[in-house]
Amino acid sequence: MDFKDYYKILGVEKTATADEIRTAYRRLARKYHPDLSKEPDAQTRMQEINEARDVIGDPEKRSAYDELSSHPHAEHDFRPPPDWNTGYEFSGGDAEEGNYSEFFSNLFGRAGRGHAPGRHMAGEDRHARVQIDLADSYQGATRTITLQQPVIGEQGRVTRQERTLDVRIPKGIREGQHIRLRGQGAPGLGDGPAGDLYLDVQFSPDARYRIEGADVYGTLPVTPWEAALGASITATTPAGTFDVQVPSNSQNGRKLRLRGRGLPSEPPGDFYLVLEVVLPPADSDKTRQLYETMAREMPFNPRQRQGA
Amino acid sequence: MQPTDVLIGRLLDDESLTLDELARACGVKPDWVVEHVQAGLFSDGSVAISAQRFSSVDLRRARRMVHIERGYDAVPELAALVADMLEEMDELRMKVRALDPKK
Repeated sequence: MDFKDYYKILGVEKTATADEIRTAYRRLARKYHPDLSKEPDAQTRMQEINEARDVIGDPEKRSAYDELSSHPHAEHDFRPPPDWNTGYEFSGGDAEEGNYSEFFSNLFGRAGRGHAPGRHMAGEDRHARVQIDLADSYQGATRTITLQQPVIGEQGRVTRQERTLDVRIPKGIREGQHIRLRGQGAPGLGDGPAGDLYLDVQFSPDARYRIEGADVYGTLPVTPWEAALGASITATTPAGTFDVQVPSNSQNGRKLRLRGRGLPSEPPGDFYLVLEVVLPPADSDKTRQLYETMAREMPFNPRQRQGA
Repeated sequence: MQPTDVLIGRLLDDESLTLDELARACGVKPDWVVEHVQAGLFSDGSVAISAQRFSSVDLRRARRMVHIERGYDAVPELAALVADMLEEMDELRMKVRALDPKK
């Protein structure tokens, strides 16, 4: 495994005070906060920063880490010497162990701390994001997700392994809802049960639709005469194809509701077709003539309400 | 486990979390949840603590607040204020995304 230079990650000197470490952490945590950052690797950087803070922001762990790093060591294929942590007593990390690197888990995780025989403890819950298509919510689907999971070997050494899960996406799920998979989190200690895995569901962006809760909005392009005179139009939605009646004298932006055709949650949402009046281009003599006829024979001023 | 096994989870909101389950999912002690509920920081406090159940929205909010409190040594009220703003940002982002799906 790679040796982690936690001081470098936080951008502080080895002699940094606790205040300097705190300030450096906050500056970077603001920059890479997953809710705000536009950096593509924000999530990974945030995990590194949290890990570095958890080690060098903790006097006991920092002291042990400093002792370890003061001896010559390999940058890659690093292995801590046996009993390197003799004399130190670490408290357990608060964060989910699944978010820590192999380096951290070996030094300060359960493998590094060891555990008394016969001691049992439930595994920690873990969290992951899963992105689905809108159609998956309409029809239900099975999605494959890959997680990095720390695994403690026979000699207590931690390695990270990829774990693939096929998960059933329930019909009607809304963005931001969680799927709870019992027993799929971190393994327990001794006979302790495994934790749970929570999947935070996000929808893939889809230019055709806008989703608000269980309601879904889509655009229905119409001609000026369909909007003005009314028309029966076939509209395609994720729930299927429907014939809808556009009322006469409809304006751009008018919403037509298809009750119960939104996300099939409980209760089901509605689907809204938002009318978009599309003007034919005046790119031929015939169309220009028709526009000229309208201009001449239709007394219409769309700016009247603005006082024009 | 064989990768071909399909896991069927429970949808939170069909099956909401108890106070202890919420605490475990956030890596905090149940007291943290009790104190924040009593202070009205992520529920309106109208339901007795023992009967309180927590939804997907509560889980996301609680995890954000834990992160802010730990990362910035923030007092709970400040963490709740930031969580309020992030929730509003979520809504606005959803609307912006509808107008411009590339964002």
